[in-house]
Amino acid sequence: MEPLTGMGVMALIGAAATIAGASEDLESDVGSQSNPNSQVQLAPQMMYPHRIFNKAISGEPPSNALICAIGGTIASVLISSGASAVLALTIGAILAATVHGTYSVTSYLGRSASQKRFKQPIYLDIVRSHVPVMMGYAFITTFCILVVAYLMTTVLEHPFSLPLLAFIWGITVGAIGSSTGDVHYGAEREFQNVEFGSGLNAANSGNIVRKAESGLRNGIDNSWFCAKFGGPATGIAFGMTVFLSGWITVVFDASQSDALGWASIIAGAIIVLLLIIWNRNIEVAARNAYGPYKQDEEAEVAA
Amino acid sequence: MIDIVGIIAEDFLNILLITLGGMLIALGVHLVPVGGAPAAMAQATGVGTGTVQLAAGAGLTGLVTAGFMMNVTESMALIIASGTIGAMIMISVTMIVGQWMYVYGVGCPPASAKVKYDPITKDRQDLYVSQGTEGHGIPTASFISGVIGAGLGGLGGSLIYYSLLSIENGLPEANFIGIASIFAIGLFFVNAVIPSYNIGGTIEGFHDPKFKKFPKAVLASFVATFLAAIMGVVAIGGM
Repeated sequence: MEPLTGMGVMALIGAAATIAGASEDLESDVGSQSNPNSQVQLAPQMMYPHRIFNKAISGEPPSNALICAIGGTIASVLISSGASAVLALTIGAILAATVHGTYSVTSYLGRSASQKRFKQPIYLDIVRSHVPVMMGYAFITTFCILVVAYLMTTVLEHPFSLPLLAFIWGITVGAIGSSTGDVHYGAEREFQNVEFGSGLNAANSGNIVRKAESGLRNGIDNSWFCAKFGGPATGIAFGMTVFLSGWITVVFDASQSDALGWASIIAGAIIVLLLIIWNRNIEVAARNAYGPYKQDEEAEVAA
Repeated sequence: MIDIVGIIAEDFLNILLITLGGMLIALGVHLVPVGGAPAAMAQATGVGTGTVQLAAGAGLTGLVTAGFMMNVTESMALIIASGTIGAMIMISVTMIVGQWMYVYGVGCPPASAKVKYDPITKDRQDLYVSQGTEGHGIPTASFISGVIGAGLGGLGGSLIYYSLLSIENGLPEANFIGIASIFAIGLFFVNAVIPSYNIGGTIEGFHDPKFKKFPKAVLASFVATFLAAIMGVVAIGGM
């Protein structure tokens, strides 16, 4: 393959992956999926009933792997029966989003119904307003991941099949979304009632913010806030992962010689080293900017 | 009738390599700093997701890069190195963006609650832990530990994949790659789950006291992967 073509395809894959990462995180903010949902689930038990959508069908990686594998399998079957790729990927993503919507509804109704004894209401208008938003985000995520998997199998000639690549990238996008963007939702948005940077005392567990900028807070309010930082950052993380892991093998093409293959390994190692140094810089800057939370008692005693 | 004994005898080296791969994954998972649900609320040091999920995300990214490499070269070292690097890139990117969240989104400096001084940078940790939490963010020791852990996971995963593809059988190539990659993913999950019992939700990396429990998990992984490898080799070799 021409190096220029390879780079163009990698750019397209990176862009699609970035959109997939951002929409995956925002979907999990609207529906409150994954780890931060533990607080939404806990709140009624601590006598804080709320109007936030409560789902957590499963951890984000299996949930996204499921919808991507469903979409990928349908798309693969349609392509093999002669449908155009664009149509096949779109229909695959629509059906995947439908499955996701079904799970979201049953999950919300089941979880809220089980909290009747804590006086947690089931809001039918929340189901009506939130489920289409979640399905929309799930469609975007699935479609973009299917585009990534399709380009990898057809243009970059990856040996894995389309559904398998979609499954793997579904697991990865979920793992990244739940490790990065969810922190913005779980540690900041849910607990805006404590001072910024004060840390979240475990004693505050369950005491989530329930009032919105206007009215009572719901999942869509949360995605509005997280779309400012958590969502795009998740997109950058997933885009970087897909792009960088593919880029090193496209630029240093191992099919020409093993030496170039080793060059790609070295390039990858340099990227990892740069990220370690960058992380250290952030750590030092944060320690200097925020300072310690408490005085050094040993130093005081010695003085 | 499949000649089970013959297949096992012929592919015994592959069974051993698959088992070694599984043990490397089990060891690697102990090194990945995961904080589970508490870390998602900045109440524990590490990445805010589950052990299995993060390890699988990193390892499977390694599997994709190893698959790429396997398509174009036959050098075993290159394929395995490629899987290792792929997993390391995924975890580094995830950890650095996670760090942005803790520092810029939540306003907490990275700090470990398990040690007083970071074993690599020698920075004081306990003063930077906010009240009522078990640390937050990803200090340098945890970051480097995570990179090594994901690398071991990617190495193990690609070793399993390479060994499975070395088994002789009569399958068409596309089907063979499909079944080998599914089996490699399955073994990855088995070996990511076993260490979870040691980790119990949160671990900060090699400096965490829980890390010392890893030999038990590696032994359990040896037994589980060895049995699974025999079944996998017989199933694939008999086709």
